[in-house]
Amino acid sequence: MQTTLKINGESWTLDVDPRTSLLDALRHHLDLTGTKKGCDHGQCGACTIILNGRRINSCLTLAVMHDGDEITTIEGLGEPGRLNPMQEAFVRHDGYQCGYCTPGQIMSATGMLDEVSQGWPSHVSASLEGDVPLSREEVAERMSGNLCRCSAYPGIVRAIRETAGEVSE
Amino acid sequence: MYAFDIKRPRSVEEAVAALADGEAQALGGGQTLIPTLRQRLADPGTLVSLSGIAELKYVRMEGDVLRIGGGTTHAQVAREAAAHYPALASLAGRIGDPAVRNRGTIGGSLANNDPSACYPAGALGSNATVVTGAREIAADDFFQGLFETALDEGEIVTEVRFPVPEAARYEKFIQPASRFALVAVFVARFAGGVRVAVTGASESGVFRWAEAEAALAADFTPEVVRGLTVQAEGMIGDLHGSAEYRAHLVGVITRRAVEGALA
Amino acid sequence: MSVGRPIPHDAAVLHVTGTARYVDDIPAPHDTLHLCFGLSDTACGEIVAMDLAAVRSAPGVVAVLAAEDLPNSADTSPSAHDEPLLATGRVHHMGQPLFLAIANSHLAARKAVRRASVEIREEPAILSIDDALAADSRFEEGPRFYRKGDANRAIAAAPHRLEGRIEIGGQEHFYLEGQAALALPQEGGDMVVHTSSQHPTEIQHKVADALGLPMAAVRVEVRRMGGGFGGKESQANALAVACAVAARVTGRPCRMRYDRDDDMVITGKRHDFRIDYRAGYDDDGRIRGIEFRQFARCGWSQDLSLPVADRAMLHADNAYLLDDVTIESHRLKTNTQSATAFRGFGGPQGMVGIERVMDEIAHALGCDPVKVRRANYYADAAPGDAAPAPAPLDDGRDAPADTHADLTSRGTTETRGQPAPPPSGAQTTPYHMAVEDFVLGEMTERLVESADYRGRREQVRAWNAGNEILKRGLALTPVKFGISFTLTHLNQAGALVHVYQDGSVHLNHGGTEMGQGLFRKVSQVAAHRFGVPLERIRITATDTGKVPNTSATAASSGSDLNGMAVKAACDTIRDRIARLIAERHQARAADVRFGGDRVHVGGESYGWEEAVRLAYENRVSLSATGFYKTPKLEWDRIAGRGRPFFYFAQGVAATEVVIDTLTGENRILRTDILHDCGASLNPAVDMGQIEGGFVQGAGWLTTEELVWTDKGRLATHAPSTYKIPACSDRPRVSNVSLWDGRNREDTIYRSKAVGEPPLMLAISVLMALSDACAACGPHYPALDAPATPERVLAAVRRAREGAR
Repeated sequence: MQTTLKINGESWTLDVDPRTSLLDALRHHLDLTGTKKGCDHGQCGACTIILNGRRINSCLTLAVMHDGDEITTIEGLGEPGRLNPMQEAFVRHDGYQCGYCTPGQIMSATGMLDEVSQGWPSHVSASLEGDVPLSREEVAERMSGNLCRCSAYPGIVRAIRETAGEVSE
Repeated sequence: MYAFDIKRPRSVEEAVAALADGEAQALGGGQTLIPTLRQRLADPGTLVSLSGIAELKYVRMEGDVLRIGGGTTHAQVAREAAAHYPALASLAGRIGDPAVRNRGTIGGSLANNDPSACYPAGALGSNATVVTGAREIAADDFFQGLFETALDEGEIVTEVRFPVPEAARYEKFIQPASRFALVAVFVARFAGGVRVAVTGASESGVFRWAEAEAALAADFTPEVVRGLTVQAEGMIGDLHGSAEYRAHLVGVITRRAVEGALA
Repeated sequence: MSVGRPIPHDAAVLHVTGTARYVDDIPAPHDTLHLCFGLSDTACGEIVAMDLAAVRSAPGVVAVLAAEDLPNSADTSPSAHDEPLLATGRVHHMGQPLFLAIANSHLAARKAVRRASVEIREEPAILSIDDALAADSRFEEGPRFYRKGDANRAIAAAPHRLEGRIEIGGQEHFYLEGQAALALPQEGGDMVVHTSSQHPTEIQHKVADALGLPMAAVRVEVRRMGGGFGGKESQANALAVACAVAARVTGRPCRMRYDRDDDMVITGKRHDFRIDYRAGYDDDGRIRGIEFRQFARCGWSQDLSLPVADRAMLHADNAYLLDDVTIESHRLKTNTQSATAFRGFGGPQGMVGIERVMDEIAHALGCDPVKVRRANYYADAAPGDAAPAPAPLDDGRDAPADTHADLTSRGTTETRGQPAPPPSGAQTTPYHMAVEDFVLGEMTERLVESADYRGRREQVRAWNAGNEILKRGLALTPVKFGISFTLTHLNQAGALVHVYQDGSVHLNHGGTEMGQGLFRKVSQVAAHRFGVPLERIRITATDTGKVPNTSATAASSGSDLNGMAVKAACDTIRDRIARLIAERHQARAADVRFGGDRVHVGGESYGWEEAVRLAYENRVSLSATGFYKTPKLEWDRIAGRGRPFFYFAQGVAATEVVIDTLTGENRILRTDILHDCGASLNPAVDMGQIEGGFVQGAGWLTTEELVWTDKGRLATHAPSTYKIPACSDRPRVSNVSLWDGRNREDTIYRSKAVGEPPLMLAISVLMALSDACAACGPHYPALDAPATPERVLAAVRRAREGAR
């Protein structure tokens, strides 16, 4: 089945089995191997990408469902020599150890900061309305879907809060 | 997965037509159905993706009823229902994790009726009405057992209507790996009575705890629940918790929900 | 000066841009085939029939191999040669590979294996420790014993006695990057293998064996792993061997990765243990005599279970002087996944045993557990200079005759030589090793102060007195972890360093990078030896073609062994350059200084690149190998005597928790950690290891529960059923400090190993939970691990009502 995906600003027309997940389409049909497969169950967050501005698990959706949608992968944020502020913050704050979950963390954090800027509350927010200060607890709750087995969480949280312009406590 | 065709209707009318074929199955956010397909626990000939139907995505207050489109994501409900029905918004905001909430839909969750899912408790606890293209179904009639609902083949949830109660709270004891409910309780107090809907606990899926409802209707305090118990028989016993543990938690979580509703 | 500074990971930029390559990202020729195992659905039995015709005819399938189709018998064991790649006649656990499907896509291979028709005559499976004991199903001829003094007599003579049991669950590695391998056939039958493995030399050996080739015909490369934690020390063998054999049979490149479910069902996990204990103690809580009976559930094959169980024995004392002690260790064979290495390698399990004893003694005496712990501590080392430099090892010993044995594996078990007796008057461990570098007395005192232990103990007591439903607990536990491979001859490492004529440096050594920061630390060493900025050092993939006969990256030894080897290689090259420069200035080589990207002699200096060019033009070799072997080690594993460790890494943690007595839910409120990294090579990397290790250990002891059905099926085989710590599971407050001290022993820059020891700091979490449960009633709660909410609730009931 044919589908046209708009990825990092470029359009690609693919012919794939309808059962192909978006993750597999990215990795195997487009050689965009920056997005990682950690569990293929939607539990670990390693496959997080941004779809029409919202962060999602690319293993839990089918490539053929996204004809015409805007997709951003880690490759679309920056490249060696030209990192975006979130990527630079992750480097500065040691937001990784083995690095495997890192693309997913960065994509998820990018989507998350966008949610925050639009005033989305979280379960730990003091109020369900209004601005949300990004405390460590807020960041942790909002990043709860991205597992890091090396537990590089302290660096991940620091990098995210710095990018968000929060003063470190 | 078994092979399938996929259709992406743009309107409810198109979707209903596509689903008229007996081999077709509706696909909402895919957060449950896609893993199910991968494990070959389902074999639809055609998947009808509802995610492209804009008219199914809304959150609106009309009078004192909150109306939510069947294709609305949990993230959207968590945001937009907050001002009108905070307990329901809070329920939606704790389903899965943020990425899952950006895709999962209320219609998909209710149609699936997972015995550990959150929305069934919210709908049953609110005395909600499930609206399909063909009819309106009261929550009390909608949930019919483990993964079973009153929906016919090809029927999709187009809207869910929630009367907003005087006070309500959703208390969820999370099974931390899956983030589903190990035991969760939705308590809502209306002028006409109290509803206590329990999910995660029973082998038959979401249920109303009648004994607690009667006691709370007389006196809406956590203390009246203290002496009440549910039987372990019929409760889910699995690797996450024994039936006895779940039965014990039903009482504790209900009390917490009442405390929260009063806060 | 690059050593001792918090420099970021080498591949930082690659990780944050998604351009770091893991095995499954490596571009492969488009005729590459994909592999999948067909697995046993029965835990124990005889294969009556296996009909693979439908698998062979499945779409996309190129070949299907069963055991009889393999060109040689392919074994994947790191030890006893008891693990055929594909089952031969019998199945030994649910999830054991039976056959191999080779197809033109991963999906095609996965779908094909389902079509097999396999008939297994099921037999009763041995699943639990009790099953194994009843059937006397074990590895080795009987239990292993370490003895010191006379425990039985000392226990009888003590004023008080207690006895009990603790059950300690296993742990799934859950490396985010699952197992993966890629084999590329070369001309002449040679093979190149890319693998996600901690032990490239073992992969080389097993592949060569399976292909009937000499090791020199096989080259194995590991650029990085997306997490290892011990789960890729031996468990990567099966995929590499399968890919290599399939590549040989088909003549095409072959790649394989396990889907997460398959990974969890096929591969081994941390050994779960039962520890029975009997102790005699006095009114001060001092242990007079103690007996441990350790039962390790090892799974169906030996794998690394013997050294794991040995290390559990070696850490039964943890930080405590035990003069009369018996440790008995049973290595039980069961029809489950073959338990394997996992960060700590038996040490954590052994330590939990004695920490439980300390906790119970304190409870019995009604006194603060820190007091009891300190009463039993070894004496602190006298302050002063480093240990004397070691004499060189004499190792003219005969090699074993068995050519199949992988000598570089931890599973190898010969004993060697006669250990020298410890210095007289020294305090010794139960295995008669002198403890000369103990610093926990002072570290504990420091942490008690900085964490305000006494003040908070009072706050916790006040809270518990005033709160019925939520109870708090506080515990302080020490860690003393022996550093070195217990199999002495594994403590060796090699390096290869080239300085190219443009001054850039190609660095290679036998250690593998799995996120622990090894590559960064070792490149700091190289940069420091040459006196050049880090940017000149190019880290390269671990490669058996560059450094041979390497040991696994394990035992927390990577930085030290490989750092020392790299130091040797760099110094060799540096000294050659120094001699050349010195000659030109009529100076002594020792007066030539390297620093600031320059080479200085007398009042003059050369730029580094200039000096290198000079060397090349004067035909001075700019390439060298380096080698290192740890001195002083001598260990007899059967007698339980000697010096298995070069030194002890130490740390102490104080953790506070809260429990909900209605549901058993619990949370870590705060942890304070003081950890000894010696003179840290890279404080940022070390802090990451400490925090990461603590959180992983906390997960092991609280939420990570492995459950098998009574048919032997692993029920917790997905992230939806097995809970590892997420971002929100970290302690709310976490204070980590590095202890300020140099390693007494001559390790690389006097640093200390840091990979494993911090995991055991999380034992403070389990003890704090026990403390909180004990606040609910008069009886000892006897909390087992993992302390899930349901178990905590049961312990609360036990504290109130006593054991049923």
